Amino acid sequence: MGSFILEQIVNGVITGSMYALVAAGMTMIFGVLRAINFAHGEYYMLGTFGAWLVISKLDAPYAVSIVAGVAIAALIAALIGRLVMQRLVGAPFQAGVLATIGVSLILQNAVILAFGGGYKVFEGGWIEPVQIGSFGMAQQRIVLVVTALAVFAGLEWMVRKTRMGKAIRAVSQNIECCHVNGIDVESVVRRTFLLGTALAALSGVLTAPVNVSVYGGMGESITLKTFAVIVMGGMGNVRGTLIAGILLGVVEALVSGLIGLQYRDSVGFVALLLMLMFRPHGLFTQKARF
Amino acid sequence: MSVTLDTPHAPPPRLPAVRWGTAALALAALALAPLFLGNYYLHALIIAMIFLLPAHGLNLILGYTGMLSLAQGVFFGLGAYTSALLAMHFGTPFVVNLFAAAAVAALIALPLGIPALRLRATSFVMCTLGFVVIAQTVAKNWTDLTRGDMGLSGLARPRIGDIVISQIPQYFYLILAVAVLAMLAFIALIRSPAGRCMVAIRDNETLAESLGIPTWTYKLVVFMLSAAFAGLGGSLYAHYETVVSPLVFQMYYSNTILIIVLGGGVGRVPGAIIGSFLFVAVTEALRITPELRLIIYGFVLLLLVFMFPQGLAPLVERGTEWLARLGRKA
Amino acid sequence: MSTRTIVRRALLAACGAAALTAMTALPATAQEVYKIGLVSPLSGANARYGAFANKGANLAAKEINAAGGVQGRKLEFVSGDSQCVPAEGVSATKRMISFDKLPIIIGDICSSVTLAMQPLAEEAGVLLVNAASSNPMITYKAGVGGFKWTFRNYPTDEGRAAIVLEHAVKNRGLKTFAVLSVDSDYGRGAINFTKKYLPRYPDAKILSEDYYKDSETDFRPVLSKIRNSGAQAILMYGQADTTPIVARQMLEMGLAGKVVLVGNGEFNTAKTIAAAPSVLNGSIEAAAWLPEWTSARSQKFVDDYKKAYGGEMPNNHAYTHWETTHLVAAAIKAAASLKPEDVRNALAKIKYDSAMGPVTFDDHHQAVLPMVLLEVADGKPVIRSAIAVKVDYPK
Repeated sequence: MGSFILEQIVNGVITGSMYALVAAGMTMIFGVLRAINFAHGEYYMLGTFGAWLVISKLDAPYAVSIVAGVAIAALIAALIGRLVMQRLVGAPFQAGVLATIGVSLILQNAVILAFGGGYKVFEGGWIEPVQIGSFGMAQQRIVLVVTALAVFAGLEWMVRKTRMGKAIRAVSQNIECCHVNGIDVESVVRRTFLLGTALAALSGVLTAPVNVSVYGGMGESITLKTFAVIVMGGMGNVRGTLIAGILLGVVEALVSGLIGLQYRDSVGFVALLLMLMFRPHGLFTQKARF
Repeated sequence: MSVTLDTPHAPPPRLPAVRWGTAALALAALALAPLFLGNYYLHALIIAMIFLLPAHGLNLILGYTGMLSLAQGVFFGLGAYTSALLAMHFGTPFVVNLFAAAAVAALIALPLGIPALRLRATSFVMCTLGFVVIAQTVAKNWTDLTRGDMGLSGLARPRIGDIVISQIPQYFYLILAVAVLAMLAFIALIRSPAGRCMVAIRDNETLAESLGIPTWTYKLVVFMLSAAFAGLGGSLYAHYETVVSPLVFQMYYSNTILIIVLGGGVGRVPGAIIGSFLFVAVTEALRITPELRLIIYGFVLLLLVFMFPQGLAPLVERGTEWLARLGRKA
Repeated sequence: MSTRTIVRRALLAACGAAALTAMTALPATAQEVYKIGLVSPLSGANARYGAFANKGANLAAKEINAAGGVQGRKLEFVSGDSQCVPAEGVSATKRMISFDKLPIIIGDICSSVTLAMQPLAEEAGVLLVNAASSNPMITYKAGVGGFKWTFRNYPTDEGRAAIVLEHAVKNRGLKTFAVLSVDSDYGRGAINFTKKYLPRYPDAKILSEDYYKDSETDFRPVLSKIRNSGAQAILMYGQADTTPIVARQMLEMGLAGKVVLVGNGEFNTAKTIAAAPSVLNGSIEAAAWLPEWTSARSQKFVDDYKKAYGGEMPNNHAYTHWETTHLVAAAIKAAASLKPEDVRNALAKIKYDSAMGPVTFDDHHQAVLPMVLLEVADGKPVIRSAIAVKVDYPK
């Protein structure tokens, strides 16, 4: 039993890294914009599609497709950032909800229109399994976990040491003061949005080899799951999402393994509800701001 | 008497008359609709009216307490399942199913609302989202009660006394009647002293509390009432579609209700009405181009957000005000 | 008046006019065209199935028209989007019935939508032919069961479950099973049927039961559980695009060759097998169709489909909708009439030569179809038998 539990924990860390990566993006966007990005999963999908396109039409190697996928998603995100997200600064919360739902419908269905609704098989990636101790996993999984940790370390550094990072923190804390201080809020919003969606796209490309199936509607379930993670981690709290993501992955794995896979999604939302009942500001934030 | 507090100038004296007049005209047009419109259009109107009820509920919470709730879908589904199960197992008449649906939804809203309403706005949204996902899981897995994914199908047509409703025009009048009654109840609620308290809470909660209004109780009651409205809508849905499955808890319904309220205009009585008819008009009209349909729909949403952030109800209100002023110019 | 207000009002007027025009736009009348409806999910997550269905159906329409059409008229499809949401499916169907006045509708893929469409078709006297839904209720309540206007040209999972279980236990000696099926009426229904037949094999048992959601991509936790339980086979009734995912993850967890996949989920397609051949070798499937089926008609379908759609391989839904369109055309021919009542009566009595063998309908309007039992060996599907199963209707 002990090794079974350990194995589920390993499974959970793997899945959780992916959750954390996507959630980091959404929570950053929330931090600067106070808007919940209902279209976040679509950028995950765009990254995957971009990579798939490059591999299947141009025969590019997987490593190249990672860059290509993220780049394509980032381009589209830049456009949307300028046209839509930037205008949501200072708008009421529901405007963000409605606008991002609209964006998600457009992105999903534009992809379906362009490539057809049928699912595609993602070829490429490092899917050969390796043994780590007594656990077998595809090499891709290790890449994912390592990348996630690297990204979080990078974000941590960025937020503490770079100008952009400090600007992000400033906008997250108090927008009026930013205007007073001469920080270009709109620019910060755009760049944070770009970064956040790029993280989602990166996550998509890195999991595509093991998730195999690529289709226009694949982002929906990602968005929903990510909501749970950012609430648990504390909305706007990047560090918190890393731990929350991995924690969620682990609990989901344990529940799936011990009770049943059909309850997997409810874990996240039960955890979310419990969290909100007892610690609304998330596990890792001091006080409730939202 | 205006139901919003932000009228910048004194409303023209004949405004209430014009408002009721317009409403009466619209009602008359609806009542006569089956004489002129084919079944497809009547169906579209029916769908609009079914969604109208949960939209009123959301309007109540969002417009009068400022909390955005995605849980209307939960209560809509609960109402649908309640009515369906009652009809299936006990063969109860329509009216019983209808009230039972509202009652069950309101009852379940109570234990959900108590912890949820303590949260701030954004957390509250996430909380209601959680309710939806869990409701769907319960519906799928409590197979003894709900038959899970197999769903409840072949529901008997609604009975009122000896009449069995099965034709579209009959359904139309039945649902119109329920919608009108619910609307009147809604208006009565808003105009009542309780309603004024709710507006006070929306505009300045602290001040309202200092005046002795028990804001917490009001929020809870509003939450339960809006659940009841959604339950009514769900009941109508179950009786009309004759199939209820866990798919009724999809995000589609919660999103639709949200779009209706935001598109129509939050906190305004005609908001939900305009929103639901608009939504149905747009989504049905777009069927002529199935491939582009949802892309255009997405653009319409963006349009609403950036061009009409207050929804479309203010335009209608300005129209009625203009009508009311017509006489005075002379 | 500010520019913004003017723009707003202009936009509003334009949208209103457009909406009004669109809603009232009359369908083009053309004497030479015979239109029928096709309802399927064209958007949202389930669009990935609807897309194949549409392509298959439209290919068939093209072939039928090339051969002279139906009663001299061109067959054309009016497509409707159900989004796999019953309310939307009903609206799309209503539009086809009341507005486009279509006499025949093929649809939907999602069972809940089909169930909601049945009463509409019944009341309007419109022929509803289903080509993809698996909920048994659809035909329990059809034909003598109630809905006279509903037909289903798709096998029920009852037969599928029975055939698969028999082969797995009797011919392959598999005794312990772990359930990993899709969490829908299809997956759950098939397992319910399996459990119904399980008592016939006293030493066979189910060790664990898990259902995955439609968009699931992470099977590691449940595969760990299955490996731990020592189950010899996984009972998997699921969607086509999930199979390669499960296969790859079984590979990385070291289950290749140790646990056998049993059930249905397009185990047999080349792409799926290529995802992890060592896992899929030895798997058992009961399929309504497979691309490798040797009949000339089936092979021609595969070739024509690939040619028409840029090299894409057809899947199960593409096939069933293609075949059903031809079935409807055949019924029209047999009835020598375009009127729905005549087509319906012809369909009830028809003996249709499909690419898989002869198809007839029982008194519940359920197609009695041959189903293929196959195993995957050496990276290729090998057909073991083809059986036509009759449904055991509840009293």
